[in-house]
Amino acid sequence: MSFLDLLSMSASNLWRRKLRTCLTILGVIIGTASIVVMLSLGFGLKKSYMSEIENSGELTTINVYSGGNNYYYDEDGQTSNTDNEITDEVIEQFSQLEHVDFVSPILSCNIIFRQGVYRNDSYVTAMTTEAMVKKKLELASGTIPTSDEEIRFIFGNSSVQDFYNYKTNSYPYWDTGELPEIDFEGDFFVIYDTEAFYNSEYGTDSDTPVKPPKKYITGNNCLVAGDVEAYNSFSYGVYTNIDALKKQLKKVFKNKAIPGQPTTKSGKPYSYWVYEQAYVQVDDFNYVSEVQKQISEMGFQANSNAEYVESTQKQFNTIQMALGGIGSVALFVAAISIANTMMMSIYERTKEIGIIKVLGCSLGNIRSLFLIEAAFIGFIGGFLGLILSYGLSYILNTFLGGALGNAMDMGGGGSSGISYIPLWLSALALVFAVLVGIIAGFLPAMRAMRLSPLSAIKTE
Amino acid sequence: MSDATSKPVIQVKDLYKYYSIGENRVKALNGVDFTINKGEFCSIVGTSGSGKSTLLNMLAGLEKPTKGQIIISGHHIERMSENKLVKFRREHVGFIFQSFNLLPTMNAVENVALPLSFRGIPKKVRLAKASKMLSMVGLKKQQFHKPTQMSGGQQQRVGVARALVVQPDIIFADEPTGNLDSNTSAEVMELMKKIVREQNLTLVMVTHDNHLASFADRIFHIKDGKLLKIEENNREETKNENEEI
Ligand SMILES: Nc1ncnc2c1ncn2[C@@H]1O[C@H](COP(=O)(O)OP(=O)(O)O)[C@@H](O)[C@H]1O
Ligand SMILES: [Mg+2]
Repeated sequence: MSFLDLLSMSASNLWRRKLRTCLTILGVIIGTASIVVMLSLGFGLKKSYMSEIENSGELTTINVYSGGNNYYYDEDGQTSNTDNEITDEVIEQFSQLEHVDFVSPILSCNIIFRQGVYRNDSYVTAMTTEAMVKKKLELASGTIPTSDEEIRFIFGNSSVQDFYNYKTNSYPYWDTGELPEIDFEGDFFVIYDTEAFYNSEYGTDSDTPVKPPKKYITGNNCLVAGDVEAYNSFSYGVYTNIDALKKQLKKVFKNKAIPGQPTTKSGKPYSYWVYEQAYVQVDDFNYVSEVQKQISEMGFQANSNAEYVESTQKQFNTIQMALGGIGSVALFVAAISIANTMMMSIYERTKEIGIIKVLGCSLGNIRSLFLIEAAFIGFIGGFLGLILSYGLSYILNTFLGGALGNAMDMGGGGSSGISYIPLWLSALALVFAVLVGIIAGFLPAMRAMRLSPLSAIKTE
Repeated sequence: MSDATSKPVIQVKDLYKYYSIGENRVKALNGVDFTINKGEFCSIVGTSGSGKSTLLNMLAGLEKPTKGQIIISGHHIERMSENKLVKFRREHVGFIFQSFNLLPTMNAVENVALPLSFRGIPKKVRLAKASKMLSMVGLKKQQFHKPTQMSGGQQQRVGVARALVVQPDIIFADEPTGNLDSNTSAEVMELMKKIVREQNLTLVMVTHDNHLASFADRIFHIKDGKLLKIEENNREETKNENEEI
């Protein structure tokens, strides 16, 4: 028999007993939908979690610190004790690693800002412009400072809290709840030599007064987008471009040692920069662990969210498996009902099967007829089940998603809901439903195939 | 009528069939030997329970003999697997049932076309053939009727058409008129006989009715699983009745 004939014969046999077929299909619809919706909850959970981390740009970032394991093997096999400083050379090595998108050294130093009566004794973090862009720094106005311009600073949207009125000796934000009026885009007095400043301001152990350090005026600064309470990874603190800062520090300290930079025994500064930290950005989350391991093996301390995220993902997987397991009970029941329906229809059609056997229908064709019938039930049920799943998923997301999203404080604007059905899951569910039909129909089909043709001869 | 020149289509040698029911042993067939030639119309006649159906079923490969040989068109069918038997029936055998056994969901032409679909013949071709076959048995008008919309005689004509459509070497018929009244029976018998003659087919028919058996060229009398006698029917009478040759 041609495949088309088999199909149309199976279909017409199903059509003959519409009600029973529909009820069996209904079972498959519920079974498929319950698995798909259950799994979609797991996927939704994972997706919103991942997109939240991704939004903060921290998913693929490795933070590298100097130190860590100080012992490593030289090329000649000797162990040596080095300080494993992060230098420009090391930064270059990191960026040569596979899957590394870019590397930014981090330079931090104490800087004091003053505007009017307000002062901010701050710890400035400097990195490359690229790093700030990739870490999704958004400004309220202005542009991110680059290497080529005069030094400018970026104030975190919460940094206004740190401004202190040195006339009244109070923090306006903390003490009165009022925000100090500061023009972030305007000029600041900037003091780089904080030690000298403190010594001149508060005196030293020796009685000789210290001359106050030079103040520099810096304009064109900018503010991170968002109000005081909003959180992002640039909310607190003050940031600037690393090259501009290096240039500025060299200018300020001339031949003296720059605070925070190591010196030789005689107190002379090094001829190169040493950073206490570096950002290593990996191109794909899946390679974070691998790159992190390589960096650790180079003798640096490397931290990332990878382990934490992976273990959370594993937890989500477990939850998802449990949900899917609950959902699959319904499909299992549907499979039994398919087998039952097929069995019933074989008992009803014993005579008919006998007749077509006498007329020369091959055993394989008889088996195919029943398998196709069962597969049809699986396919139609699976297809309608998917439609139902998408509907349920939509309802969950529109009516429950917002509420749950808020309750779980999943920021990120709630772009992804609690239920998410990946396309491959739909395809898989359909294939699975058809397979369940075929498996459920297998025994009945074998039975039909083995029925004796004599049942056609027997009269009543 | 068996000419010396005609080839044997069916050869049965020393055929036995025993059924065991509990400790009892029913000897449904107890040593049967015969040969049927191509183009012959044979009837098997005997009382109820004499073993006629058992014999026919074994000839059609629906049951396995306990002992003995059945050679049809040169094939030893007693040794065939079920798969091969189905293929054998598909290629060589047509079957006419007592209770017609048309599929209730299909109309006449679809029923006739059914065996052709098992041979993988495209729908258009097989429906055309079936329709032609139905005209031959005089059911051109009723070809789109469902079995429930036809009389017994009409249904059995459809059955005959279905057996003939595959152009089989042999047609087996088990009490083909058993469910019909005597007038209709005679009509159907005439029809079968006519077509078998025209197309030089071999027909083996089982009946308990001596009158119906007398339509055949040869009559096999069977009793208690044994062949009593083979009666050659009067050839002249056959000739006159059919007005042929
Ligand atoms: N499947 C079976 N199991 C047991 N006994 C059977 C079976 N089929 C037929 N018989 C017995 O074999 C004998 C011949 O049966 P059958 O060939 O049907 O007779 P007929 O067709 O001549 O009326 C009967 O005695 C019947 O009871
Ligand atoms: Mg009988």
